[in-house]
Amino acid sequence: MYISIQDLCFSYPDTNRAAVDHFSLTIGKGEVVSILGKSGSGKSTILRLLAGLEKPSKGSLCIQENVVFDDKVFLAPEKRGIGMVFQDYALFPHMTVQDNIKFGLSHLKKEEKKKRIQEVLELVELEDYGNRYPHQLSGGQQQRVAIARAIAPNPHLILLDEPFSNLDAELQVKIRKELRDILKKANITSIFVTHDENDAFALADWIIKLKDGRIDAMGRPCDLLGASRPSEIRQQEPELVGV
Amino acid sequence: MLRVKRNKGFLVEELGCWTVQRKLSNVNAWTVSAVIIMALLFLPNLTIVSGIFSPSNDNWAHMKEFVLGSFIKTSLILIGATGFLTIAIGLSLAWLIAQYQFPLRNFLKWALVLPLSIPPFIGAYTYHGIFNYTGVIQTTLRDGFGKDLNPAYFDIMNIPGAVFIYTLFLYPYVYSITRIFLSQQSASLIESARMLGKGPVNIFFQVVIPISRVAIIGGSSLVVLEVLNDYGVVKYYGIQTFTTGIFQSWFGLGDIETSIKLAASLMGFVIFILMAEKLLRGRRQYNYSTTKVRPLPLIRLKGWKAFMATGYGLLILSLGFLIPVVQLIDWTILTFGTIPTEEFLIYVKNSVTVAGISATVIIIFALIVGNFSRLVHGKAAKLLPKLTILGYSIPGAVIAVAVVTAFIGLDGFLAPLYRLLGVDHTLVLSVSLAMLISAYIIRFFAIGYNSIESGYDKIGTDFRDASRLLGVGLTKTFFRIDVPMLKGAIVSGFILVFIDVLKEIPLTLILRPFNFDTLSTKAFQYASDEKIMEASQASLVIVGISALAIVVFYKFLEKEPE
Ligand SMILES: Nc1ncnc2c1ncn2[C@@H]1O[C@H](COP(=O)(O)OP(=O)(O)O)[C@@H](O)[C@H]1O
Ligand SMILES: [Mg+2]
Repeated sequence: MYISIQDLCFSYPDTNRAAVDHFSLTIGKGEVVSILGKSGSGKSTILRLLAGLEKPSKGSLCIQENVVFDDKVFLAPEKRGIGMVFQDYALFPHMTVQDNIKFGLSHLKKEEKKKRIQEVLELVELEDYGNRYPHQLSGGQQQRVAIARAIAPNPHLILLDEPFSNLDAELQVKIRKELRDILKKANITSIFVTHDENDAFALADWIIKLKDGRIDAMGRPCDLLGASRPSEIRQQEPELVGV
Repeated sequence: MLRVKRNKGFLVEELGCWTVQRKLSNVNAWTVSAVIIMALLFLPNLTIVSGIFSPSNDNWAHMKEFVLGSFIKTSLILIGATGFLTIAIGLSLAWLIAQYQFPLRNFLKWALVLPLSIPPFIGAYTYHGIFNYTGVIQTTLRDGFGKDLNPAYFDIMNIPGAVFIYTLFLYPYVYSITRIFLSQQSASLIESARMLGKGPVNIFFQVVIPISRVAIIGGSSLVVLEVLNDYGVVKYYGIQTFTTGIFQSWFGLGDIETSIKLAASLMGFVIFILMAEKLLRGRRQYNYSTTKVRPLPLIRLKGWKAFMATGYGLLILSLGFLIPVVQLIDWTILTFGTIPTEEFLIYVKNSVTVAGISATVIIIFALIVGNFSRLVHGKAAKLLPKLTILGYSIPGAVIAVAVVTAFIGLDGFLAPLYRLLGVDHTLVLSVSLAMLISAYIIRFFAIGYNSIESGYDKIGTDFRDASRLLGVGLTKTFFRIDVPMLKGAIVSGFILVFIDVLKEIPLTLILRPFNFDTLSTKAFQYASDEKIMEASQASLVIVGISALAIVVFYKFLEKEPE
């Protein structure tokens, strides 16, 4: 498999509950995986562990058979080749759109940089916005810049944390479709987390349902639609409220 | 060795255990420098603690028996009376501004902070000059009205006089903290009290005071710490306290041991104050919440009430700022040219140099320690910087004693090296500017750190993480992302430290190298030599720069809520 996550465990310091509990997952190249779960179920934590922003207490991540972390190896985030789109985008406010994208391209030559910036801006349909600052863009545009910035260095894997939560409802539907197109066009392997079933069902090749840091169910959207929707989810809900 | 083939965009990299070490060493470089900095800031103060246990000599025995009690009594009176009056004035002004609209309110809102730009010792000699026999009040009474009153009526060089001075120039601590606090309180609190039929007086005592307790205690403990730190006012007014005692036993008796013991006693006093603050404040911390609350709608005052409000604000502003400044300007004009310009420029240069170097070093240290604090998980990483912040509550005279002791020790330690290098002195570091600057850094680190830390808090960690995930390492991220984004915090921290160093008195007097004068030491010396008018020029420069900074800050602060 292209990406293989084995037995990932983690709890935050000074807490006694596991935020991520024996989480395993394999992903094929170019697939879009969605992790679906209620707030506090550990979605963001999983992404932060994969990115190297937190150190897991146990588990491993291999990309193309190469170890990114296990009990001996721990690559720093900047060495992993994993891109991330943050919930509030984290676009550097003191840099233009172009410079934001260029930031991750320091290994390229000047000409190549220019070309790559142009490529990804075209991909997200923001060719004319290169010289703007983040605060001069709408929420949807900012999000697309964040995606372009994450994609530009050609990461093995891109992580998206609740990509739609900061957009208004109308925009959400439109961008959902756009995002899938962008990811597929770039043939990029991605994991995105969401608390909204509709996002997951519309976008993902695979859906992982997460509950209390553990995998609760997993499958293709169509499978899960038949098996667990609507009855299973409805039954779970009252139980989840108290968690 | 494992190999990872990267996608075309990424460099093909060799991976293996060395990468783990690289990562660790990266974090370690930050941790190690942060820990060293914190140790440097904190350790000199331990010499004071060790002083408590060293055997006592005759001077100390004498002091303990005859003067220590009176030091404690005087200090208690000074902080008690000043504390009470600053709360009364600061809180009443804060409440007026927060709740009411009246003529000049918007001007007074920030102008009432201006007295903070006048260091109390400058205020002290200025008011002495205004009140003394040749001063403007007595001369006007004599010449204008033919009244020759008993000069004793006008003597302010005593404990009540010192309380008067402290109150006028320190109340802004209570005022500004309480005002900001009140302006962040939800209107519904006050409005529901009004709806329950409470009048303004009842609301003030039953609602405003209890809810702003935390802010009041925070502000007044700053006042109390400033009073305990003060050397200039008490020395000038001839009042015996811990700080003057420390100076006397050191310079008068040449008895460093007794100074250390006095410093330790004063430190005990400060710790007592800090504990009392913690106790009084309870579990609640200041809560400058960013969530939007509906601000208090201002009530428009009319007629004599509006007149009284404006009058009260202007009275305090005049006493705390306008009158002393006008007097200083007057004296400066009268004596202009008596101090040779070249000489004066040297004082300016010295002041700016030490303040600039100290502020720069403090900001760099604060950036490193602040970055460490958010890089490393766990309670220790959060607690350690807090410990270094204590430096600000340690009075300057105590830090001076600690730093001298440490530097003399250091010189002793380095003596073989000096001999090796052919230096024929035994004291090198302890007679250099390095000692003075180190002391400033220890004393004012907290000011810079607070500013930087709140800057780090504001930007959060997402930008840093985003940068690292784009393949940029920790240290590069620090320079390319953190520093540019912290620009505002860096500038404000720098200015705050800069003006504090500019105004500083006891450390500078004790630790400056021979023949090294700054604006504040010069102002203090002229005033001590009864050359009040000559002192005004240097004072005016200090006050002018500080006032400017305060005005700039007002703009910064008022912009923030947007
Ligand atoms: N920095 C932290 N320190 C301690 N606990 C945390 C921290 N961040 C998240 N948690 C806890 O870990 C659990 C999972 O959080 P998170 O991964 O953010 O959930 P989600 O993204 O699914 O909403 C929650 O119970 C949360 O309270
Ligand atoms: Mg989350």
